Amino acid sequence: MEFLHYMGAGIGLGLAVIGAGLGIGRLAAGLAEGIARQPSAAAQITGAVNLPLFLLEGVAILAEVFCLLIVLLR
Amino acid sequence: MQIQEHAAEPASEAFNAGEVIIEHVANSGLDHPLIHLPTIAGIDFSVTKHVFMLWVVATLVFLMVTITVRRYLRQDRLVPSGFMNALETIVEFIRDAVARPSVGDKWVNTWLPLLLTLFLFILTANMIGLIPVFETLGLLDRWVLHSGEESFIARVQHGGSTATSNFNVTAALAIISFVAVIVAGSKAHGAVQHWKNLVPHGVSPFLAVALIPIEILGMLVRPFALTMRLAANMTGGHIAILAILSFVFIFTEMAGQFVGMGIGLAFSVPLAVGISALEIIVVLVQAYVFTLLTAVFIGMAIHTHH
Repeated sequence: MEFLHYMGAGIGLGLAVIGAGLGIGRLAAGLAEGIARQPSAAAQITGAVNLPLFLLEGVAILAEVFCLLIVLLR
Repeated sequence: MQIQEHAAEPASEAFNAGEVIIEHVANSGLDHPLIHLPTIAGIDFSVTKHVFMLWVVATLVFLMVTITVRRYLRQDRLVPSGFMNALETIVEFIRDAVARPSVGDKWVNTWLPLLLTLFLFILTANMIGLIPVFETLGLLDRWVLHSGEESFIARVQHGGSTATSNFNVTAALAIISFVAVIVAGSKAHGAVQHWKNLVPHGVSPFLAVALIPIEILGMLVRPFALTMRLAANMTGGHIAILAILSFVFIFTEMAGQFVGMGIGLAFSVPLAVGISALEIIVVLVQAYVFTLLTAVFIGMAIHTHH
């Protein structure tokens, strides 16, 4: 049953990437729509989008690190 | 870097991609320290590669900034020239786009030095990891210098050169920002009021009791996330580049050296160049993110909206 570790890590990595991809996609879509509607506020909208983007990225990275740890520390 | 690593192994030994990659990303082990120092109270103080890189980065940042600023201050005209232009852009960017919106006008000058130091230090440490100085030194050593197994040049090749890809380094940086948040809250509201601010005003006592552990957990998770984000991003890019480059050697072992060379020319090297270009962006963004998040957390401690 040795391979189950690797399977778990791989599935977890895939799920993390799916979630992060969906989240970043929604953020980018919202950003594009916002700028298209209000081009003069582009800088402000980008600034407001940046922070949740980085927080989301941090969560995804955390998930990936834990997947790596599953493999390394099995 | 792979070539020299592979050539150093005996020909009979199979190429192990995982080991080679870890060897190029992780810190150099304590069996190959750069400078031997005694063990004090159970802690080995020997200088490893990442400590050495931290010194290099610190010296570089200090010299670059002080020399440039002093030269600018000595000249007669106010127009900056040369590297001072870049430095001024960075300072203005951090002040106007990072510090001022999150920290507020009143505290900008208090917290700008810390944020600038963090940004410049992390940026330089990340950037140095992208320059293959030690791999070039290794090639030189192997073909020209022949300095031997235990020389400084031979030891300096163990481990990766990005100090910020080490979790200990980023944990130290995150602790700095953690302490800065507490100091910022205490300076703005007083030492007791800062801790009271953890729980919003006007909440019923029962809810407040439930909120305290959550708030404390949130306070501790932030530096942890900062640590993981920076280190994992810096390690991840390097691992991706090395994994793609190691296809060359895997295919050489499987199907002969011409197939390996073909894979290298057609696939590995172009893709590795592309990922390296992406890494330049990642390096900038991660330094920016660390600074921005520190500024935002400091701002949250100062402006407690309740």
